[in-house]
Amino acid sequence: MPTTPRRLLAVVALVGLLGGCGGTAATGDPVPDGELRVAAQFAPRSGYAMDTDDAFVVAQVGSSEALVRAGSDGTPQPGLATSWRQDGASWTFQLRPGVTFHDGTPLTPSAVVTALTWVAGVAAPPRAIKGIGLRATETGPDAVTVTTAAPDPILPLRLSSVNTAILAPSAYTGGPPSVIGTGTGPMRLVAAQGNQEAVLERNDSYWGGRPQIAKATVRFITDPAARALALRAGDVEIAQGLPESALLEFTPGNGYADQTVAAPRTVSLMLNQKGAFADVRVRQAVEKALDRTALAEQALAGSALPASELYGPAVAWGSQDPPAGPDPQGARELLAQAGSPQLTVRLQTYPNRPELPTLATAVQGMLREVGIDAQIQIGEYGPQEPQLLAGDYDMFLLSRNYLTDVPDTGSTLVSDYSCAGSYNINQYCSPEYDALLAPLATTTDPAGRQAVFRAAAARLTADVVGVPLVHSQENAVTKGVAGFVVDPLAKQLITPELTRAG
Amino acid sequence: MSGLLARRLVALPFVLLGAALLIFLLPRMAGVDTVRSVLRSRVAEAEPDPEVAARVTAELGLDRSWLEQFLRWLGHALTGDLGISFATRTPIAPQLGAALEVSAVLAAGALLVAGLVGIPLGVWAARRPGGLADRAVTGFSVLGVAVPEFVLAPVLVLLLAIAVPLLPATGWGTPAQAVLPVLTLAAFPTALAAQLTRAETLDALGRPHVAVALAKGIGGAQLIWRHGARLALTGVTALSGMFFAGLLGGAVVVEVAFGIPGLGRLLYDAVVGQDLPMLQSGLLAVVAVAVLAGVAAELLQLALDPVARSEAET
Amino acid sequence: MRRVLVALAVLLLVAAFLPVDALTTNLADRFAGPSLAHPLGTDNLGRDVLARLVAGTRLSVWFTLLAVLICAVVGTLLGLLAGYAGGAVGQLLQRVLDVLVAVPTVIVGLVVAAVREPGPATLLIAVLLTGWTPFARLAYQLTLRERAREYVEGAVALGAGPGRITLVHILPNAVRPLTAHACLRFANVLLSLAGLSFLGLGAQPPTPEWGAMLAEGRQYLFAAPQLVLLPAVAVVGVALLVTVLGRRLEGRWSGR
Repeated sequence: MPTTPRRLLAVVALVGLLGGCGGTAATGDPVPDGELRVAAQFAPRSGYAMDTDDAFVVAQVGSSEALVRAGSDGTPQPGLATSWRQDGASWTFQLRPGVTFHDGTPLTPSAVVTALTWVAGVAAPPRAIKGIGLRATETGPDAVTVTTAAPDPILPLRLSSVNTAILAPSAYTGGPPSVIGTGTGPMRLVAAQGNQEAVLERNDSYWGGRPQIAKATVRFITDPAARALALRAGDVEIAQGLPESALLEFTPGNGYADQTVAAPRTVSLMLNQKGAFADVRVRQAVEKALDRTALAEQALAGSALPASELYGPAVAWGSQDPPAGPDPQGARELLAQAGSPQLTVRLQTYPNRPELPTLATAVQGMLREVGIDAQIQIGEYGPQEPQLLAGDYDMFLLSRNYLTDVPDTGSTLVSDYSCAGSYNINQYCSPEYDALLAPLATTTDPAGRQAVFRAAAARLTADVVGVPLVHSQENAVTKGVAGFVVDPLAKQLITPELTRAG
Repeated sequence: MSGLLARRLVALPFVLLGAALLIFLLPRMAGVDTVRSVLRSRVAEAEPDPEVAARVTAELGLDRSWLEQFLRWLGHALTGDLGISFATRTPIAPQLGAALEVSAVLAAGALLVAGLVGIPLGVWAARRPGGLADRAVTGFSVLGVAVPEFVLAPVLVLLLAIAVPLLPATGWGTPAQAVLPVLTLAAFPTALAAQLTRAETLDALGRPHVAVALAKGIGGAQLIWRHGARLALTGVTALSGMFFAGLLGGAVVVEVAFGIPGLGRLLYDAVVGQDLPMLQSGLLAVVAVAVLAGVAAELLQLALDPVARSEAET
Repeated sequence: MRRVLVALAVLLLVAAFLPVDALTTNLADRFAGPSLAHPLGTDNLGRDVLARLVAGTRLSVWFTLLAVLICAVVGTLLGLLAGYAGGAVGQLLQRVLDVLVAVPTVIVGLVVAAVREPGPATLLIAVLLTGWTPFARLAYQLTLRERAREYVEGAVALGAGPGRITLVHILPNAVRPLTAHACLRFANVLLSLAGLSFLGLGAQPPTPEWGAMLAEGRQYLFAAPQLVLLPAVAVVGVALLVTVLGRRLEGRWSGR
């Protein structure tokens, strides 16, 4: 709008003065009873239903908790249950004393049974407890026995899933359970306005210690650029999942702190073994043609780590080694040996994850160098899935979280790579590989299971079942908070130790 | 006048029915696997499982014939029950109501700005055609029609939320948070209003009775404002269709960019998650709003413009 | 001035045929500044920005042109038919137009994207579903007006059939306002296309399209603002150009 130049100058001067008074935030002493605002990456799309991915949101904001916690080394740690004992197909869990729900009712075996019975009976059971025939019964005044159809070595780990969180009995009154004021965690959900924002207040009687944050507002901003803007404008103190380019803007000098951790998620190039890539030499040629370090550090600008095998540094059994360097000459030789020096294939992927189209373009360039002409087709994942499962494709770029929501990757190894797997996109079938997985049905010991994981991953790498390209990372940028730790399993965001710093 | 309106209103239910049928059939004709999409929107990396798919198909009522599904839905809709959303498994009507409310506030704010800023700008420009003010306003109005919302939004945020930390960059609920989205959405209608007002005012100034009044020495400014503003309003309402289309369409982009829980955002989420009942209800809401807006605009035009009134009565 | 506008328009049309390399990535040379090899620098994958902008005219200019043309032809035909038939058919058209003209292209695009895969075909369908309405309305009104004129009555008296009357008398007078209107619609369609691509429902990567480039560039708003500004200037510039051209044509031909 038109305004006289003098008036405009005055406005600018006044605003500049006010703006200058703010000053830069210094990392300083913790401020007790602070108020926190968060820009969260994923919004609850299913109305906070606990049998969907929305359960992650309820757990992250600090409202709900499960019987077991997943330790950073992949072992089960006490949560709402303090200890457990296996007895054949049953596990008995000792409940933590003195825990109350946010609505004041105590944590009793009956409440636990109600919660677990509900989640075991939904139409689409969560992956953590699917197909195990879970049944829960009370055992005495402070214990619950959970029985499965067959002896299950990882039941405690399964019960660390956010979908198996225990809510107050008052939540389970028909229909989807209500999450407002029915959790046990450090923060109590006070209001949940659709998928826009959630407001939380401190739970003063939290069993794990009094939280430092008095009030929290979590805003669900799914657009990464908008999240970065919100942090930049000072609307929030924590912003999850910022694109790498935005990280350049948030420097420690301006009071920002950036945390990046490896996530249990790998982007792999699936190669159809029922079609163009039946010959292992052709698959090896593809592997040799790709410079995975360049993909991670240049194409993705360092926002991911190069992958040498399926599992990365996010898990204890993952590989820490860098991948072998590119060998275009060797690739060409292999292709010539296999009788197809020139190959034309389709490279399909989907756009929901921003790194996938970028990687597809970079991969196409690398493959062209060795004589493989990859034609990129990007489309929605949904319509492509039937083709993938039927083996009607050539190459597919897929981003996959290999821990599902249980810190044990056994089920992924079965579903994605075994002969009868329900998600075996590579169309790979090897009896030797299936035999490798046999011990998983009975081994409880974490070390033993991890040895199986390592062996399986090595086998997949040797047979070139798809080419793992990069391991994704999770990050978050904060300003004016202390005690914040990024959880690669995406289960924790607001913890009792989190506090405003001034 | 009442005859024309009566005809319009009588046609409304048939239009809605036709639209409802079309919207209902469209996704089902395309052969998209709705159940799998719904399941994947609930749990992003779930593997396909035929047993679960069968159970959920029955749960969502998708195993019945499409005619039966449509009639069931129609029956419920007539009693005000818009069904259950596939995504949240809770009733649609309250969600739709809340979203409509938000979008209405956003649209009303944009229209208000368009009226309070655009119309006076147009009149002011018409006072001296070819002058500095006229050229500035014309330049602004041409620009305002051409700059899309997704370009304007980050620019405004950069200027008013970051360079000068005056306003919040995202969110909805407080008046401060509403400023940037409303301004972004208002750019197009304001520019359009300014253009139209200017054209109508110039036209009016050329008319005989106005020239006579000016010649007689009756206050020029007052005359321009009174006649120009009224004619501008009729011009604007005549193009109300384009206005509302621009507003509703622009609102989708603004809502997604600023994270506002309005109707546009609801539709976008429903599309992405294959939430068919929500999509149906949302689209019907859009169509209903469009038709009602058209009727309201025509009413307004008839009320303001005696020429149109007499034309309608013949 | 008009010559400048026309020259620019021709330039845009020709640009689509230039052999530019908009797809080759060069990971070692990302976010480069302007240079001889890359007059507008490179983007986040090392692709030449100028090349992508120029290649983008294929979608942004030609595709839009195609969409507007189809809308214009279909809409005009329907409007002529309704105007000629008059009575109930005309009323029906009016009602349909009332509804459709207020439904924004973006929302239709959302719906079509729900049932089909996102991509240029989907966009075309979305634009066609509502884009024909302004032309139909215009053609309808023009037909009604022209039919009432004396020379048409005279032609009818002389025994001319409706087809001939339409072609010889009505169409020539309709062409001018329709063309002017088409120019205005062009800007609208261009912006809708860019808007849908911005929402992720239009052209998919790596296809160069200005709206998609804008959406991608938003992530790098601070690190490399030119990746947002340049496509923005392209979109706004072309929309402006065509709008001004249309207004001038309209002003010239309708005698205002």
